Amino acid sequence: MLADEHRIEPAPHGGVFVRLPAVERELLQQLRAELVTMLETSADDPSLERLFPPAYEEKRKEREYRRLMGEELLAGRRRALDVLEATAGQEQLSADEADSWLIALNDLRLVLGTRLDVQEYTFAEGLDQRDPRAPELAVYTYLTWLQGALVEAVSPDR
Amino acid sequence: MSTTLAPTEVQVEQPQQVDSIERDRPWIVIVWNDPINLMSYVTLVFQKLFGYSKEEATRLMLQVHNEGKAVVAQGTREKAEYDVARLHAHGLWATMRKD
Repeated sequence: MLADEHRIEPAPHGGVFVRLPAVERELLQQLRAELVTMLETSADDPSLERLFPPAYEEKRKEREYRRLMGEELLAGRRRALDVLEATAGQEQLSADEADSWLIALNDLRLVLGTRLDVQEYTFAEGLDQRDPRAPELAVYTYLTWLQGALVEAVSPDR
Repeated sequence: MSTTLAPTEVQVEQPQQVDSIERDRPWIVIVWNDPINLMSYVTLVFQKLFGYSKEEATRLMLQVHNEGKAVVAQGTREKAEYDVARLHAHGLWATMRKD
């Protein structure tokens, strides 16, 4: 087995086999920790706005929705990030753990993508190494690959 | 605006029925396109949350992608709010309004 292989494959009972090199697992932990810190200390950071989209166009109804649902939605995100922290070193995930990885990875991409102002055309012509965002766009691209591979591995009609 | 479900039929017999018609109008749940969410992930979320077949979920996802938005569910205000919250929990951009 190649030391730097990364591959995501279906496992029994809806779980997945996660083969990732240590450096990628460390990257996931680091990104997770950064997001947790941001959620705890700067919750009004504009790059978080896609984690808390409005439900209503009308302000009064939206305030009510936020009052009722805000904490629960935030707690759900924290749970997914906590599962990622606890399982980032595992070679196999249960179906529930894979679900949490999907939510956590999606959240990481939403925040990073918002911060980098990712648009539909951003990757249309490949990564421009002269773009100052290039290193972070590479991380974003990696997370995109990982989330896509996980979706593929857990899809119900494979 | 396009919808995947037929409108609810309501019988109007007298003017006094206006109030209950207003209450009976369903709320619709809309998912909006964004440049970050993966098409395959959105499809999976539609299957998981609403029980759509892969074909139907893919069709709705493509409608979001190509037309900017799609109606994915409808019902009472309580149900719509529950659906929106579940979609938000999965990182999708969803809103609700009266049909």
